[in-house]
Amino acid sequence: MLDAVSAFVSATGADRQKALRELLLLLKRMAASNPVEAAGVLRGLLVPDLDYSTVEALSRFYRSLSKRLGPQAATKKLAILGSFTTHQLASFIELYLFAMGLPVEVYEADYGLIQQEILDPSSGLYAFRPDILFLAPNRRSLGRRPANSDSPVRVDELVAEEVAAWSSLWHTAHDRLDCQIIQNNFDPPPSRSLSNHEMRHHAGLARFIARVNLALQDAAPPFVTIHDVDHLSAAAGRWTWGDDRFYFHAKMPCAPEFLAAYAHSVASIVAAAGGKAKKCLVLDLDNTLWGGVIGDDGIGGIRLGQGDAEGEAFVAMQHYVKDLANRGVILAVCSKNTDSIAREAFERHPEMVLKLEDIACFVANWDDKATNLRRIARQLEIGVDSLVFVDDNPVERALVRRLLPEVSVPELPEDPAGYILALDRHAYFQTISIGSEDLQRGAMYQANARRQQAELSCGNIDDFLKSLAMKARVEPVTRENIERVAQLISRSNQFNLTTRRHSAATVMKMAEDPAWLTMTISLADGFGDNGLISVLLAKVEAKELIIDTWLMSCRVLKRGVEAFVLNCLCRSARMRGCTAIRGEYIPTAKNALVNEHYPNLGFERVSGDPGGQTWWRLSLAGAADLPNFIQEIPSHD
Amino acid sequence: MTNPTGDIRDQMQTLFRNVFVDDEIVLRDEMTAADVDGWDSLAHINLIIAVEKHFQIKFATAEISGLKSEGQNIGTFLALVQKKVSARK
Repeated sequence: MLDAVSAFVSATGADRQKALRELLLLLKRMAASNPVEAAGVLRGLLVPDLDYSTVEALSRFYRSLSKRLGPQAATKKLAILGSFTTHQLASFIELYLFAMGLPVEVYEADYGLIQQEILDPSSGLYAFRPDILFLAPNRRSLGRRPANSDSPVRVDELVAEEVAAWSSLWHTAHDRLDCQIIQNNFDPPPSRSLSNHEMRHHAGLARFIARVNLALQDAAPPFVTIHDVDHLSAAAGRWTWGDDRFYFHAKMPCAPEFLAAYAHSVASIVAAAGGKAKKCLVLDLDNTLWGGVIGDDGIGGIRLGQGDAEGEAFVAMQHYVKDLANRGVILAVCSKNTDSIAREAFERHPEMVLKLEDIACFVANWDDKATNLRRIARQLEIGVDSLVFVDDNPVERALVRRLLPEVSVPELPEDPAGYILALDRHAYFQTISIGSEDLQRGAMYQANARRQQAELSCGNIDDFLKSLAMKARVEPVTRENIERVAQLISRSNQFNLTTRRHSAATVMKMAEDPAWLTMTISLADGFGDNGLISVLLAKVEAKELIIDTWLMSCRVLKRGVEAFVLNCLCRSARMRGCTAIRGEYIPTAKNALVNEHYPNLGFERVSGDPGGQTWWRLSLAGAADLPNFIQEIPSHD
Repeated sequence: MTNPTGDIRDQMQTLFRNVFVDDEIVLRDEMTAADVDGWDSLAHINLIIAVEKHFQIKFATAEISGLKSEGQNIGTFLALVQKKVSARK
């Protein structure tokens, strides 16, 4: 099987179809006896840039395989409404989501029914009740187009009307469904009737589409993510992106060869909404961040920096990685090297873009990389499946793929000038929004590293916690913090008592409902600002406060935040006339960390079920404040 | 890329077998779309894409629809592919 996989991956031209045929034969045989293993092999094949015939064949195989796999826990329901034929796109999106670890159930309406499906409360869309709604118009379904004779004011109105029409659909769907929405922007046509002046003339179509695209981004509320089809089309090249023959025949939105990239792009956003995005980039060093082997070639011998073309490629790669870090991706190093020699390159090489302080976890030793990757995940307190491992060495990649299939391992070309795109096109670190928290996360992890140092130098844990001088701000969920709240809800796995992935829309409704109590905690200390790190959603029922969701970012574990939060919660519960607080724990593969959370806080067990789910109660009559070292500071307003 | 070697009929037969996932398919000139299991509009598009890519040729819009219309069969399809491959140089 492994031979067939590598034969297929390396095959080109006509050989590729032959290799695919042989691979599919083997896969079908394997699926009959061991569908789970076949699923693992299939996942490994699903890279973003597959050609149409291949992804079509794999998608067909997936359909038969998923029957053998039996009913998978469909974690999300995805509805797709398009102004073109979405059939192939939908099956490819489903296939990529399977590869990303988020099997979905898909609903499709016939093409051209976006408005009808949303406006008619008895449509199939509302019977299906999706978690995520993908609205897929293309430029042909723009409701408005400027005429050259339109005045500038009229064109302004058309832009506003177009955006208002979409915005109204978003709000209607969201009011009725509470779902996250993914909305296509528009791809301008390759033909330009105003030639060079398409962008200059106030009524140019290219200008109109560009303005609509920007206005859509600005109008999108937190529950809407704009999917950048315009970028897909530009990246493919506008002249080749659309193949009108297939639009006229089959209403395909782009040339068939780009459907896989299109589907992958949508799938990456759905996966991010489902909490499956990656968090940490783990980097090899030799021939990944610089050319040559530091242990052999020395600081003067490695290729890095101006004056050498390959050296410039490695600098570019480091700049790209640094940009990822600046937007919140955690960086780690996993290198077979002597630790001091590896670090010396960071400290002393003048052309290094990445610095030691950019690396949240630095592992250079001679252990195998699978062991080291487990170590990195443990130290950063994130799941192994949150890691992306980048290594130029195909043997190391193969080893990690085999021993740790949960880790994403992109293929790298031999030429370092191709590293950036090879990594970037996977969109591993996709998010449904980018907030200020993301931009600060790097600094937060660095502060954490300094905190760990301080902890080592403090003998007594209480002394250490006191020395942190922690200050917390307690606020309800608001329009200002909803994006960060939704992000924590979709991403927190470990300190998460119920792992309920509520959408931003649902949480906003709770915040506005007087029966609900929503609470967020932002924590700062002497080492830096941790930002918003904990979310609590609870409902008052019959004089009891029922906790629906309690989660916390793992970077503030063991700091007494739970005790502080409970004190705040008790105070709010009493103010609302409650006599008790109830909590529940729903076990998952990842939240064993909090299985003793409620008893540790003094709750009494009410009941449990054989699946491990437990229910807890705290009577407010006897509950005294729990000690902690966190000082509450007034909220913003 | 050099011209594909081997008989066009054989290569087309392999493409048909891939697209329709049926290793028993044997192409005969008089066959029409109705004789091949699963030759619906989606499979038709898949076939066109596979043939275009394999032979590095391009069908015109009318030719794509023409292949399934009255009077057309595998024989005329093969002849069209042959013509396009020869013209390709």
